[in-house]
Amino acid sequence: MSDVVQSMDWRTVAVGDELPAMVIDVTATRIVAGAIASRDFMPVHHDRAYAQSQGAPDVFMNILSDTGYCSRFLTDWAGPDTMVRRLAIRLGVPVFPGHTLTYTGQVVGLSRDSDEGLVDVAFRALNELGEHVSGTATIGLPVPQESSP
Amino acid sequence: MTHARVLKYGLAAMEADSFENRLAALVGQPISAAGPTTSPDPVNQPMIRHWAAAFEDRNPVYVDADAAARSRFGEIVAPPLMLQTWTMATPQITGIAERGGSPVEGTRAAVLTLLDDAGFVGTLASNSEFEIVRYLKLGDEVSATTVLESVSPEKQTRLGAGHFVTWVTTYTDAAGAVVGRQRFRILKFRPGGAPA
Repeated sequence: MSDVVQSMDWRTVAVGDELPAMVIDVTATRIVAGAIASRDFMPVHHDRAYAQSQGAPDVFMNILSDTGYCSRFLTDWAGPDTMVRRLAIRLGVPVFPGHTLTYTGQVVGLSRDSDEGLVDVAFRALNELGEHVSGTATIGLPVPQESSP
Repeated sequence: MTHARVLKYGLAAMEADSFENRLAALVGQPISAAGPTTSPDPVNQPMIRHWAAAFEDRNPVYVDADAAARSRFGEIVAPPLMLQTWTMATPQITGIAERGGSPVEGTRAAVLTLLDDAGFVGTLASNSEFEIVRYLKLGDEVSATTVLESVSPEKQTRLGAGHFVTWVTTYTDAAGAVVGRQRFRILKFRPGGAPA
């Protein structure tokens, strides 16, 4: 995976543009790492025996990890000058170790807000059980001032 | 209709009204009487680095001071969706399972107890929505205040009858300026769709 260095030029973005898919191979390590890094110590996110006592087959991904991956999906595409303004997700099926989580999305709107170009994105993440999250986001990118002719 | 049936229906209506009224009375109220939750540590590089590593987020503005200086932000910023992380409770590891998974000792939100007692014991997280007003910088101190925003009327869902409960958390900086908001929604449902 290459590092994110170049930001997208808002003027080149069009409604209907697809975001590059982001594929996450989910392991117990990944789930635990995300839960603890987001300071979510609920045992269902790190203790398999506890998760099973609650009726789940294994530990499952926490919601703060979901929003974290969603923001990475957006900024991997749009670059380091992106400002995530809004992110709204609807939660679906859970994510367990062994799943592959695939994020896809497309541009659904463009607008201007003073010196910033805004991009509305609709996205979803699917795994073996179905739709894990779906949502919408608005990101802002600085728009270069037009040079005088 | 017999007098007895009228009485029974009247009482049922009063009880339902009382339940709805008790739910309504909680709307707009903060979930904690203790005031805002303040982040135990200011926004800091180690927690950001840990977070970025966990999600393999290679955005340089989170960890690379030179790249961040060249960016629109001019300095290191925290990942925007870490907003909720800063004010998460420092866990008390001992007893976490006995507390039903709650990381800290605490009282259950009144709205949840009220819904549990009415038979809506199932819980399903439904939505999480963030509005980011500004990105946090190293040293920022974050406070969070959570208010019960709404409780929906009873709705039929595929899991059974239930109420959608929405909280809104407002995050502020040391100066009291709003840096972001989060709405979090759950469904409290009667498992199996059993009648009341």
